[in-house]
Amino acid sequence: MPADANGASRSLDELVAGERAVIASLECPPVIARRLMELGLIPGTAIELVRRAPLGDPIEIAVRGVHLWLRSSEARRIDVTPA
Amino acid sequence: MRRIAILGNPNAGKSTLFNALTGLRQKVGNYPGVTVEKKTGLCDLPSGRRAEVVDLPGSYSLQPASPDEMIVRDVLLGLQDDTPPPDLIVFVVDATNLDRHLYLALQVIELGRPLVLVLNMMDAAAAQGLGIDVAALQRRLGVPVLGISAAKGEGLDALRAVMDRDVEPSTRHFREWPTHLQRVIDRLEQRLPRRAALPERARRDLAVALLLDHGEDDVLARRVSRDALEDAHMLSRRLDEFSPGWRGGDVAGRYEMIAALVAEAVSSPVGPRGDTRSEKIDRVLTHRIYGPVIFILLMGAVFQSVFAWAQPLMNLIDWAVGDAGRLIGHALPAGALRSLVVDGIIAGVGTTLTFVPQIAILFLFLSVLEDSGYMARAAFIMDRVMSRVGLSGRSFIPLLSSFACAIPGIMATRSIDNRRDRFTTIMIAPFMSCSARLPVYALLIGAFIPNRWVGFLTLPGITLFSMYFLGIVAAIVVAWALKRTVLKGGMPLYVMELPPYRRPAWRSVLTTVRERSLLFMQKAGTVILAISVVLWFLASYPKGGEAVRALEAQRTQAMAAGDSAQVAALDLRVAGANLQESFAGRAGRLIEPAIRPLGFDWRIGIGLITSLAAREVMVSTMATVFNIGNAGKDVQPLRRSLREAVDARTGQRAYTPLTGVSLMVFYVLACQCMSTLAVVRRETNSWRWPIFMLVMMNAMAWLASFAVYQGGRALGFGA
Repeated sequence: MPADANGASRSLDELVAGERAVIASLECPPVIARRLMELGLIPGTAIELVRRAPLGDPIEIAVRGVHLWLRSSEARRIDVTPA
Repeated sequence: MRRIAILGNPNAGKSTLFNALTGLRQKVGNYPGVTVEKKTGLCDLPSGRRAEVVDLPGSYSLQPASPDEMIVRDVLLGLQDDTPPPDLIVFVVDATNLDRHLYLALQVIELGRPLVLVLNMMDAAAAQGLGIDVAALQRRLGVPVLGISAAKGEGLDALRAVMDRDVEPSTRHFREWPTHLQRVIDRLEQRLPRRAALPERARRDLAVALLLDHGEDDVLARRVSRDALEDAHMLSRRLDEFSPGWRGGDVAGRYEMIAALVAEAVSSPVGPRGDTRSEKIDRVLTHRIYGPVIFILLMGAVFQSVFAWAQPLMNLIDWAVGDAGRLIGHALPAGALRSLVVDGIIAGVGTTLTFVPQIAILFLFLSVLEDSGYMARAAFIMDRVMSRVGLSGRSFIPLLSSFACAIPGIMATRSIDNRRDRFTTIMIAPFMSCSARLPVYALLIGAFIPNRWVGFLTLPGITLFSMYFLGIVAAIVVAWALKRTVLKGGMPLYVMELPPYRRPAWRSVLTTVRERSLLFMQKAGTVILAISVVLWFLASYPKGGEAVRALEAQRTQAMAAGDSAQVAALDLRVAGANLQESFAGRAGRLIEPAIRPLGFDWRIGIGLITSLAAREVMVSTMATVFNIGNAGKDVQPLRRSLREAVDARTGQRAYTPLTGVSLMVFYVLACQCMSTLAVVRRETNSWRWPIFMLVMMNAMAWLASFAVYQGGRALGFGA
């Protein structure tokens, strides 16, 4: 897992609503990683966790001007560093 | 005729453009062998020529992640036999969101086929203050670029003019595979067979597709030699091992190129970008508390409308079909032909037509919700709940609709992009207690369940609720089992775009409503009509045995004596005797040994058989069997007959309250509706699934009723 300057490594799922970060790496199976990249989730891209669904899962994210939702199980495999 | 394909990301406004170009001259079918819908239409071009326009499914990438995207790739690469590559691609992008939508556009432009790039929703872009330099895009991409607003009909004439022209394909290449990957692709390309069926141009793209394939691409496998396929899989395994991350090799490069292009061609206003109006709406509609509340209210409104608003229309159709039957009946001589036309054909047409109001009303709401952008939010809110049974938020609305009627519910599963989830949803939809079961529940509860208070609830109320609940439990169990057996596998990625909220285009909404209703009448209606005629035959033949002739002799006497009350009573007995001696009646006796352990006798058996036409037919069949006839809508006499019915062999009561419960459980679980089977056949594009549904549901129904009846008797509830 990559670590940021403070030594803390976080997954996309650990952001709080409204928090921004930068995608560090996608730790998912290659086929899924490619699809996520094609949807704009490329390492180095700024990303925001907009909100969680009313039941806590899935999460809404904003990336490259687009809003998407994905499940926490997927978001846990996306590593981020502070913006 | 010119062949033109409309292509683009989901939410680019493709379908709105397709509807605006082709109007009502559309045809909907299936691509062969798959459940992906093929929509084509005709469009007049300025020169007087006509174009055949095909609306390809919305896609994010040429490397497919769903059957829909696979079709798009196959059509564009020339691998789809029934749909040759188009003469011109009309590529639609959302002008307010070029960063994202240009990704697939670049992939498709690189294919080197004639293409025009259409920037849709230019009005929304202008409203957001975006300045788009069309000439710069045209220069950099090497294809004609046009700004339009499909919803408002702006720019369509210019588009039709381009569609009429011969457009030079772009020669640009934006692909930036790293050198070592490029070498692998070259090598694979050399191995591909030089067959006429494989267009020269598509060879390189096919090599890339093969390399990225993850084993589910059967079309690809059929198109290349076994050697080439094994080669490709071997190469990609090696790459996975030595160069992890290679699959994303070209993606980042393309996005960089798009960012540069957008920076050059689009000037955005200072300040925060994006659609802040949608963000404000979402703060309410997906709010932790208001979100679910509004969702439940909205769903309640949709459900209530399908359930209640459709009823007057359905009554009207019933009444009109009945009148038409009488009118045509009078014109025909009494006898077999009249009976066939009135009770077989017209009744079958009537059955088909009575579903249309529910379908039309449901799709009116669904397409407004879809086009406005709310559907993605509904899936967002419900995903957690549905994920418990292995489905996603997308399955919720089709299942909810099935409480009104499984037919529009199953038709609504089209919006589920994951094939396994879609089939699972189709298979469990008929477990939701539909409105046709309600008359059966009402009859049996009224006949057998005492109207007693239990706490603050009544026993009939609790019984009715239990029946709905049982259906839901059965659906959960079946979904769980299917997702672990026949429909398991795949690597599902649940990710969905939340598009900006938009005002739905009414024309597009009404086109959808019309298309779904027509499709049902054409595709499912023919099967329903055929089965209806078969059922009519079974319930009408063979005619008149001895018992019937004796009754008819009595009737003639009563007629001569002028005793009209006696004539009416004998009419009912003739009808009852006729039904009992028909094939359906005999089948009722034939299946009696099989249903005896459930507490049912041959009379209920007849009801079960005629229920195939529609479950509520059970009520009128039982009325005929018990010589009561359809005297108005009052079911009280029938309830009494059921309570007082005597078993001829034992001389005791034929049915107990336990029989009633067992029968209701049977109706919850059994697959008795031929219309559902017809629609499952159409939506899964095979007979396998409807047959599986029929066998599975009826086996479950038998087992559950057996458990209820025998268990209940063992516990002493049999009296």
